[in-house]
Amino acid sequence: MSASLDKGVRVLKEVIDAPIASYFSSCVHCGLCAEACLFYTETGDPKYTPIHKLEPMRRLYEQEYTLIGRLKKVLGLSKPVTDAELGEWQELVYNSCTLCGRCSLVCPVGNDIVYMVRKFREGMAVSGHAPEGIVEATRRTVSTGSPMGVTMHAVKAQMKHVEEETGISIPLDVEGVEYMVLLSSMEIINFPEYLSAIARIMKHAGKTWTLCSTGFEATNSGIQIGVSDLAKTIVSRIVEGAERLKVKTVISPECGHAYTALRWEGPNLIGRPFTFKVQHIVEVLDELRTQGLLKTEGFETDRLTFHDPCQLARRGGVIQPQRNLINMVAKNFVEMPDAGKMNWCCGGGGGVTAIERAEALRIEAFKKKKSQLEAVKPDRLVTACAVCRTTLEEGLEYYQMNIPVVGLTEIIAEHLPEQGA
Amino acid sequence: MPTNDKDFKAKLGALPIAHQRHVGALFVQRVLPFSSDVQLKAALELALRADASDAELTGAYQAANTARVESFTRCGSVCDWADQAGHFVAKAVVACVRPAAEGEFGNSSLAWEAAMSARMARTCQTVASGVGTENREAEEQYRILSAFLNK
Repeated sequence: MSASLDKGVRVLKEVIDAPIASYFSSCVHCGLCAEACLFYTETGDPKYTPIHKLEPMRRLYEQEYTLIGRLKKVLGLSKPVTDAELGEWQELVYNSCTLCGRCSLVCPVGNDIVYMVRKFREGMAVSGHAPEGIVEATRRTVSTGSPMGVTMHAVKAQMKHVEEETGISIPLDVEGVEYMVLLSSMEIINFPEYLSAIARIMKHAGKTWTLCSTGFEATNSGIQIGVSDLAKTIVSRIVEGAERLKVKTVISPECGHAYTALRWEGPNLIGRPFTFKVQHIVEVLDELRTQGLLKTEGFETDRLTFHDPCQLARRGGVIQPQRNLINMVAKNFVEMPDAGKMNWCCGGGGGVTAIERAEALRIEAFKKKKSQLEAVKPDRLVTACAVCRTTLEEGLEYYQMNIPVVGLTEIIAEHLPEQGA
Repeated sequence: MPTNDKDFKAKLGALPIAHQRHVGALFVQRVLPFSSDVQLKAALELALRADASDAELTGAYQAANTARVESFTRCGSVCDWADQAGHFVAKAVVACVRPAAEGEFGNSSLAWEAAMSARMARTCQTVASGVGTENREAEEQYRILSAFLNK
């Protein structure tokens, strides 16, 4: 056994906690999780059955923590986990799993398969079987604070661009304000309109806010690769920034897993509750709406539909706020089949877009989204996650579907009365 | 000559669509060297032609949109700001050749969208060159619009 495999197996044994042990022991092999996974439904290949993606981990559980498994191991009747096998499983644990959580939701015995995949990824990363793209992104996060190498210099350049466009000053490192706004690298690089929309909405609502120079980045590749120490470091940067600036609320951007990482995993990662609230931007906007602080004018008249980011809707439970917001500005909003908590993933989450070798499979899996869209034939597609947005655009382009994709925050900002913009 | 973006946006929005394409293309010409995509160059030349047909615009729009989508920096990939400047050039060209049938978005106009994307292309190029955050693209766009309106 190589040193890295030895370490990986040790980590896998350690991460098999009480929930995982109970999940493995209660699996009834019904196969319902297969029908919930777009990588299985669109390829028909049984190797993409979610619970099967955990097979090496299941064998370790059996060999280490069950009486029959231990006996079989002593008698040499069980199959050890090998480097070659973990190498083969990389495709199943990373390339064909977006951590979308649909499998967890349909499991009749309540197994949280996403939780298990996350833990399996920890062992995969330690044993050297994480995909190169995610490993590189993680290294960049350690060295620059961003998985895509975005520095404060680039953020300042975008701040200047937005200040010119909107005529609104972008606050940086201001103490005692209500909101600290996080950005994802994807928004800094590809979607400057998000920061522009935030500036206009905050001015319109009369709210105080700031960016934080030491914690502007929301993306948490530690969660994607499966390295808890790194995930903790990234969360800690945000926590330190928010506490230094004494803000009341930290706003997670239009990025699905950043919300999960900070809001749901964050306090567990740092081992204490936050001293501030964490909300996704659509939760904040809906709160402003209910307080009468967000008023729009005019309506989009074309046919709009909404793609629910998995981490926001299914894993995060945020489903109605985005619909309340769309209905403020849309006359002709239609729901796709399975919208809301059972929505189908875009196919790019969980680090999949960072894996070049996963591209062909991702495009194949996009057929599920294509069929959802064909059912309602929208003129435009709205979403609230930058990764979903680019993945959707790539899929739509590949299948030659002319459906523009727009961000929810951006479309709301476009409908602010001129005097408030 | 406009002196701020509010005035600039209003003046652009008041132009007929053919003029919006033309003036938008003039904005994009300044940043076109940031992209090596020959299809974008051809699409921009089309936007400058007053007699471009709907069919020609549709073809150019599809080609430019493909260039835009293919040049997104993907989540987890390292950002090359010079390449990203090319992405925003593509986005600006898409705005210039968008067929009328595709409609408009919110209270913006084709020319305004082209102007903003051209500015982002310049910003990305500035980041790539590592020479600070200053650039004069907005002032140059005001000057171009003013010259166009005074023709």
